[in-house]
Amino acid sequence: MTPEELARAEERLRNPAPGSRIEAAQKFGIDLTLLIGQLRLTPAERARQMLEVCQLAERVRGAARRRKP
Amino acid sequence: MNVEAAIQALVDARVEFVIIGGWSAILNGSSYVTNDLDICFARDSGNLRRLAQALAPFHPRLRDLPKGLPFVWDHATLRNGTVFTLETDLGKIDLLAEVAGLGTFEEVAGGLVVTEAFGRQVRILDLKSLIKSKRAAGRQKDLLLLPELESLLEAEEP
Repeated sequence: MTPEELARAEERLRNPAPGSRIEAAQKFGIDLTLLIGQLRLTPAERARQMLEVCQLAERVRGAARRRKP
Repeated sequence: MNVEAAIQALVDARVEFVIIGGWSAILNGSSYVTNDLDICFARDSGNLRRLAQALAPFHPRLRDLPKGLPFVWDHATLRNGTVFTLETDLGKIDLLAEVAGLGTFEEVAGGLVVTEAFGRQVRILDLKSLIKSKRAAGRQKDLLLLPELESLLEAEEP
């Protein structure tokens, strides 16, 4: 995306137009700020970020049940 | 799940494939989280051989196959099926010869983009195709993703 396209996309997500699909998603419960954050990244950066999330999730999976009283 | 190693192995082996499903959504900007990799592959003989060889070092076996039953991983096995839900040393990898709502690898080719990720050039579904496939798949987990994907599409429209 060009800087202009990104700015336009961010504006649409920050202030959804009445009746738009973005507004419907917001009402559905989608956190649009997360999408703004993702759009600012390149696909490679999105992949890297998600790989880190997955690795963290693997490390803590089941941690609550492993806790000693 | 070591998605990066899986993708690099496939690309380096010159396997014809496109990333679909959750990772395609993530690379398109979705905040979705997934722990498996879904790809659609071309079914020509050469590609089946390359695909089988690329994943062989990671010991693929079918997730739904009872333990103890024999399973042979080679191009002939790939030729005899269209959906393989695999457990590998790298994690869960689902191989599909067809994508719901889109069709075969060759039919999917009209709705994909090439992007840089995992240290390689990879093919992923574009947002319109991804939305179409999720709508066609129709499972609750697919439908829940639609509002986010449609928002991204609308945000990026000219």
